[in-house]
Amino acid sequence: MVKKFPIGWGTLEILEVTVGGDKMYQQIAWTVTLFLVFLIALAFSFVYGESKRLNEYGPIQKKGYKIRKYYFIGILAVMAIISAVTLTRLPYHHEAAAEDYKSVDVEGIQFAWNMSEDKFVVGEPIEFRVTSTDVTHGFGLYDENLQLIAQTQAMPGYTNSVYHTFDKPGKYQILCMEYCSVGHHIMVKEIIVTDSERGNE
Amino acid sequence: MEYVIKPLAKKAVMWHLITTAIVILLMMVFGVMMLLNQGELISISPELFYKIMTAHGIGMIGIASLGGLAIMWYFLSKYLPLNPKVLVANFIMFLLGVVSVLIGIFGFNFSDGWTFLYPLPSQSAQFGGPAGALFFLSGILLLGVGFLVIYGYVAYHLTRVYGGLHKSLGWDYILGKKTGYGPPPAAVASTMVVICNSTAILAGAVVIIASILNILNPAIVIDPLLAKHLTYAFGHIFANCTIYMAVIAVYEGLSKATNRPWKSNKVFFIAWNFSTIFTLMIYTHHLLMDFAVPKWMLIVGQVFSYANGLPVMVVTAYGALLIVYRSGIKWKFWSLLFFLSMFGWLSGAIPAIIDATIVVNHIMHNTKWVPGHFHMYMGMGVITMIFGFMSYFNHQEGKVKENSWDLFSIVLYFTFFLGLCGSFLYAGRISVPRRWAEHLPEWVFSDQIGAFCGVLIICASLIFTIRFFMGIKSAGSQENSDLTKIA
Ligand code: HEM
Ligand SMILES: [Cu+2]
Ligand SMILES: [Cu+2]
Repeated sequence: MVKKFPIGWGTLEILEVTVGGDKMYQQIAWTVTLFLVFLIALAFSFVYGESKRLNEYGPIQKKGYKIRKYYFIGILAVMAIISAVTLTRLPYHHEAAAEDYKSVDVEGIQFAWNMSEDKFVVGEPIEFRVTSTDVTHGFGLYDENLQLIAQTQAMPGYTNSVYHTFDKPGKYQILCMEYCSVGHHIMVKEIIVTDSERGNE
Repeated sequence: MEYVIKPLAKKAVMWHLITTAIVILLMMVFGVMMLLNQGELISISPELFYKIMTAHGIGMIGIASLGGLAIMWYFLSKYLPLNPKVLVANFIMFLLGVVSVLIGIFGFNFSDGWTFLYPLPSQSAQFGGPAGALFFLSGILLLGVGFLVIYGYVAYHLTRVYGGLHKSLGWDYILGKKTGYGPPPAAVASTMVVICNSTAILAGAVVIIASILNILNPAIVIDPLLAKHLTYAFGHIFANCTIYMAVIAVYEGLSKATNRPWKSNKVFFIAWNFSTIFTLMIYTHHLLMDFAVPKWMLIVGQVFSYANGLPVMVVTAYGALLIVYRSGIKWKFWSLLFFLSMFGWLSGAIPAIIDATIVVNHIMHNTKWVPGHFHMYMGMGVITMIFGFMSYFNHQEGKVKENSWDLFSIVLYFTFFLGLCGSFLYAGRISVPRRWAEHLPEWVFSDQIGAFCGVLIICASLIFTIRFFMGIKSAGSQENSDLTKIA
């Protein structure tokens, strides 16, 4: 699903469409990391290769500092753009549409998830109201391909809301994302998403 | 004015390094055991897995701190009249703390993680008895107090020699009151660490004491979110400061190896001042999924986590490249490790920054992406600096000959550490949660790759360590060591 965000920049919307919305962040993170680490490796190899030659340091420093100025401004610009784009789409609050959401209570407890409902329908906007009654857990919503699609912390004394609208039917799972003692890894719950109100098959 | 490093200080530094080398190896074995279990190649109980995980986490962070401190002390002794007895006292506190932590974990089954997120320790204490948590938490407290004493002592001498911590952070140069080169990088970095880590330890002490009180008397409670703030103010800063202590070796070592000055100028000071501020404030990137935290704080967490990458990207790592470029350097084991450690640190900053982006954090927080990024700058950064320093120390204080194992072991270490981190990051990319004793079949492959890399990392580290132990026999015998020469 491609979401539209009020960025106002044509190019960024195109980027938005090509990467296909927020489910692709993992792919972006991985690719960008590989690419940049590769670039860093190149830079270090280059300098290593040049290290055995001997030139005077003064001129090298002078030139190096000049290049650094552009390098610094470049990084700063990239960071500013990425911040501007990503900070407009925080997962924290959906004030405007709050009433339209179906609210589901989720409670983490060593070592299970209690939910007021565990069957959902495609297209229905849902607010998971997540809390805990003992220690801190992590509510991680996984799709059928075992891909994490949303999460929040389940902390005693606090209720954190995650908003999600399922766009595909299937078996989804809640996995615990915060270490909560020896049963942490068995804290899994399956939830079912169907196409329509009636279709349970 | 420069001082001669005292024989007792050399001995103390040596014992720090010996301890560090042994603990690193042991903890790496724990790391591989975890991966073998997650990769379904061996089978250990979840109880044991989580104990090992707790030991590996606190052990690695603690030992990186101890090794970093040895580096800081060794070089700082050139510029400040430090009394080595203080270092020895800290070493003893450290060992006592470690014993207490080990008793807590392996004697009384404490397995609540090195970040002991409140109220987990008291919850566990209700079922398994309070001894585990009490030994573990007081052990950490003991470690913290030891470090705090050291930092207080160093702060005192920095103040005496430079006229105040703001002076050793170069404010006179930033404000244009003075020009040229200021206090040596070792003093600047130490100032930053003293400020940040003292804050970290105080935050940690508050939450540890609150946890202990809560265990002893459940009526005494603390807000879990406040506790988490304090826990990560401690954990994040403490872990990060290991690198800011260890990097002193890179400054001193590379400048010596290339015969070029690496001194503090205005830009250098600005970078370290920013590092100080950012390191103190960006721990909130650990709370990005706590929606109850005020939104502005989380946005600050993202923006300043980005900014925190700038000092290393633009000044420190860039400076390392510049100083080596066409320097005619004759590579030695230690100088190569120092150089590569900057690669490790810089590389680790990339996935760290990406994960600090709130929208990304939403689907990558507490996945294996997180250990992926910090194994990069800890394993290929801090630990590399420490291994490099072990060899540097031998060169200065003893006799060692280079041999062909050196290059081989470095290549081995870096190749497979990249592999290990790659396997973690890949696991994060496919959404594997961190800290799971048992893995689903879809995830097992990445663990097996990781375990394989881990074994070869241990081989490389074993070679480093053996070389260090062989060299150290003659440590102290070298009369014309550098520091003595100055005298
Ligand atoms: C051979 C090298 C190493 C291996 C195989 C290894 C393996 C591991 C594994 C499997 C985990 C748990 C991952 C999970 O959450 O599922 C882990 C966690 C961790 N490792 Fe390592 N590691 C190695 C080296 C290091 C080094 C050098 C450091 C730091 C100096 C380090 C610090 C940590 C920390 C702080 C944790 C977090 C523990 C926790 O989640 O409570 N590790 N490591
Ligand atoms: Cu859990
Ligand atoms: Cu952090």
